[in-house]
Amino acid sequence: MEKSFILHMLTTAKNLSPFDVNMALDAGWVSAVPYTNVEASEIKGLIQDVIFSRSSKALKRTGIFIGGRDTKQATDMLKTAKNSMFSPFEVSVFADPSGAFTTAAGMVATVEDELDTKFNTTFEGKTLLALGGTGPVGQAAAVLAAQAGANVRIIGRQLDKAQRIADLCNDEFGDGKINIQAGASADIADYIKTAEVVFATGAAGIELLSAAHIASAAKLKVAADINAVPPSGIVGLDAFDNGKEIAGSVSGAVGLGALAIGNIKYKTQSQLLKQMIDSEKPVYLHFEHAFEVARQIVKLTK
Amino acid sequence: MPKRSILHMFDPMPNNSPFDINMALDAGFEVLMPYSNVKLESIHGLTQDAIFSRSPSGIKRTGIFIGGRDMGLAMDMMSAAEQAMVPPFEVSVLADPSGAFTTAAALVACVEKQLKEKHNKDLKGSKALVFGGTGPVGIATGVIASLAGAEVSLVDHMSIDAANDAAKEYNRRCQSNLLGAMAGSDEEKMAIIADVDIIFCTAKAGIQVLSAEVLAQAKQLKVAGDVNAVPPPGIAGIAATDASVALTSPAGAIGIGALAVGNIKYKVQNKLLEMCLSTEKPVYLDFREAFIEAQKIV
Repeated sequence: MEKSFILHMLTTAKNLSPFDVNMALDAGWVSAVPYTNVEASEIKGLIQDVIFSRSSKALKRTGIFIGGRDTKQATDMLKTAKNSMFSPFEVSVFADPSGAFTTAAGMVATVEDELDTKFNTTFEGKTLLALGGTGPVGQAAAVLAAQAGANVRIIGRQLDKAQRIADLCNDEFGDGKINIQAGASADIADYIKTAEVVFATGAAGIELLSAAHIASAAKLKVAADINAVPPSGIVGLDAFDNGKEIAGSVSGAVGLGALAIGNIKYKTQSQLLKQMIDSEKPVYLHFEHAFEVARQIVKLTK
Repeated sequence: MPKRSILHMFDPMPNNSPFDINMALDAGFEVLMPYSNVKLESIHGLTQDAIFSRSPSGIKRTGIFIGGRDMGLAMDMMSAAEQAMVPPFEVSVLADPSGAFTTAAALVACVEKQLKEKHNKDLKGSKALVFGGTGPVGIATGVIASLAGAEVSLVDHMSIDAANDAAKEYNRRCQSNLLGAMAGSDEEKMAIIADVDIIFCTAKAGIQVLSAEVLAQAKQLKVAGDVNAVPPPGIAGIAATDASVALTSPAGAIGIGALAVGNIKYKVQNKLLEMCLSTEKPVYLDFREAFIEAQKIV
């Protein structure tokens, strides 16, 4: 009898996200088993229980998903998981806390595509504002855009928190090779004048860019908003927008709404979950892998 | 439509063990339901909810697994589940906290086999030590070996009280005859291993308990078994994959490594899970049945 596909789903939160459970089962995993309130110190023991209970052949049909709400925690857990295994007792691990890695990948890949098709340019040297950028999606998106060459500034309500997050992104997720800056939302009116790209990743229902901001954004090319719940985080940008010109833009900027981004996010997450099943060798997947896949999907869906 | 098989997995810990999950699915259970942070008081209600929601034919496709880290608690949960059954509303129950029952059963069965084959000796009348003896695998190993007639001491590396308490508690629970001992330093280890026939090593993974120098003092040693799969091995000279390796010792001792034991453990746990699925009458399986199956398998 062929061994069944088992995905062990670990989260630091009280519950798994039903989003991830549906996605995992739809991607082909037969059993999705929840482990909740997981602490960092438990990872090693849980991983070793996973790998020592199946043959190396059956381990190819075994995977670990790391959820939760915190990007740093999830990234650390991914590292611990990887370090707790040794050949041939290894399984694939995919970290996507809050779906943030795949959402960020979907956003950055669709924005990159708009820059390319509408403006014949790339992220290289672009001035980018990550509004509400202190959350999990904002962090991952800021890092991906910075790695692609953009000059990123994370904007938060409190400057010191934004600075802490920028430091975290640079040191932990960017290996010290990127230089994300921080700014306070009180100064958005100034920053927006020179911004060429805007990511809006704030909480649902909070307006981050007003009509006046849009009118003064003389350099703006692409703005993306992941908020699917009205009102939109960027005035004039609708959840369904997929490269539509933003009303009131003086620079011909285009907008990407939550559903256009969500479509790519969904396909990216599904493909990464399938990659874990199909891969001959174990894979360890996080936001960078999500971005590679999202880029391919954006190209393919055209 | 035939009812799908369901295994309700009760666990007092914050999470079930992925080991047990993999094993249960691989043994053929179709649906697993994890229940974590389960308290002893809840077992009665949970068990009755499991038995009264399916017809007697559906009940045959239903099982209860008791996990956790504590052997005594698992035994209490097992008897609470048994008492909650209302025949014919009755399901099979398997307890294997930390995998300790099946690991211990496999370890003792492997050692027993080598003892018989290489030294023509039985557990009965042999003197044995269990290092890491106050952990779940250690206690279960001690109990199984003691019930088979060996004279067993549980060895703790820090406290004689901890060892004596564990021995006393499980003698009461299981009618075994365990003793307690303490050995932390190499000198203490050399002293207590001098006259033993069997050494079981069930200490924490990745720690060498007995160095070659210490082991050289085990003049009577006949068989040593180690369950630590993470290097370095718990006993010097035994590689994890060794099924029967000659150790440098005056009495011609044989060593058994963790993966050899693990292989049997895996088969035992698989067999016990399958028994829960295939049995006509409900079964209640703990370390006793695990040892019987392990003896058959080796």
